[in-house]
Amino acid sequence: MAEVFADYKWAALFDDRGIFLEGLVTTLEVAVFALILALVLGVIFGIAGVFPKTWVRIINRIYVEFFQNTPLVIQAIFLYHALPHLHIMIPVTAIGILGVGIYSGAYMSEVFRSGINAVPRGQLESGLSQGFGYWQAMWHIVLPQARRTILPALGNQAIAIVKNTSVLAMIAGGDLMYVSDSWSGMNMYYGPAYLTTGIIYWVICFTMTKYVKRLEQKGAVG
Amino acid sequence: MKLFGKKMMAAAGIVLLAAFTAAAAGCGGSSDQKAASSAVSADSAVQKIKDNGVLRVGVKVDVPLFGYKNPQTGQIEGFEIDLAKAVAKKIFGDENKIQMVPVTAKTRGPLLDNGEVDMIAATFTINEQRKQQYSFTNPYYTDPVGLLVKKSDNIHSLKDLAGKTIAVPQGATTRKAVEDAAKKEGITVSFAEFPTYSECKAALMSGRAAAYAMDQSNLHGYVDAETEILPDSFAPQEYGIAMKKDNAGFRDYVNQVLTDMKNSGEMDQLLKKWTLNK
Repeated sequence: MAEVFADYKWAALFDDRGIFLEGLVTTLEVAVFALILALVLGVIFGIAGVFPKTWVRIINRIYVEFFQNTPLVIQAIFLYHALPHLHIMIPVTAIGILGVGIYSGAYMSEVFRSGINAVPRGQLESGLSQGFGYWQAMWHIVLPQARRTILPALGNQAIAIVKNTSVLAMIAGGDLMYVSDSWSGMNMYYGPAYLTTGIIYWVICFTMTKYVKRLEQKGAVG
Repeated sequence: MKLFGKKMMAAAGIVLLAAFTAAAAGCGGSSDQKAASSAVSADSAVQKIKDNGVLRVGVKVDVPLFGYKNPQTGQIEGFEIDLAKAVAKKIFGDENKIQMVPVTAKTRGPLLDNGEVDMIAATFTINEQRKQQYSFTNPYYTDPVGLLVKKSDNIHSLKDLAGKTIAVPQGATTRKAVEDAAKKEGITVSFAEFPTYSECKAALMSGRAAAYAMDQSNLHGYVDAETEILPDSFAPQEYGIAMKKDNAGFRDYVNQVLTDMKNSGEMDQLLKKWTLNK
């Protein structure tokens, strides 16, 4: 154990902190854009999941069941290693954003769907009876009320996105996990590398947890 | 939910962080004392293995001729396997008192550190940085780095790879070797690292990488009708058997086994057996 965390290994880590910083930037970049994509897909497919027309709901189910029930790792490896054989070469950062975003979007759409379902049906109907269109009633009446049930689960998904970006380590994605693997693979100083990487992920996710808690409390009052 | 108040959470966070740093610092600090009492004698090191009743060796299972799990027989076989068996035979008088643990370039260091294996015989290149952390025997084989490319890509030398991406396995010395060779040629290349050899090959085949760089003996296991190994070869890599840093006694013991094998001609026979004699 002692040799794994020897002082000279920590010194080497400090000297090469730039490499880890670059990885962190990539991780944050991918996480932010994946989060935006997942939210957009979540709203669209969440509403599709409760839409009056059957075929729209079927499309929602296909999307959700496909992406929820296959591992993200396989999806990423497919996008990275298999698509080029069909002459589709997506840059690796884009794979991170699309892969994690679409995968998490499936989870988020379930969050939106169940959140919308938790709002009593009478709310939508009374909105419609007052002359609102479907979309207006959804946007102004149903979604604001669904917010309270949706927010905590959305927060969890956002945190999962940050951690799931580490799938890029498998496909040379240059994210924090990859640079940690690569750096420690080169010199075998894996002790400090993985400990530091773990702490960085923890700090990001813990901060997000606290932030979501604050939003929830605000939402509960308002 | 009020159970975990704000203060509670903050306190929990601080305790966690403190625990992390304490673990890290504590481990770092004690390394000097460990080094002082490092000289474990060969006798006591070998006695410990004898007490275990089996020699635990980290080996490759995906490098033909060195350490390879034969899909037909299910047996792990190769030059390094025979070397490990010779060590077991010397210790126990029985070459089958051996437990082989499959390793990759990335896992062999940690497996040594945590004591899962007594030694590593897995195309482990000796270099200064690694010698600082592990005890190495004298080299038993020297293998240069080579480049595997697709025939259809029209790449004939390292120079043709200027500006391109080269796939290398994680935890190997290959990246550094190719980087230095590229610098000498006056070209720049970029690298994509993968956890396994087969992923490197997959990256080459899908066009994510223009070449797969690795020790030549390893590449021979991955060459097929669509690919070829370039004539370029650089940075000869010396393979040694590795033990824990403080297990220099056992290192000396294995060194003696290797020397005896060399002197008796057994080493040459093994090299011939695995077509590795040059």
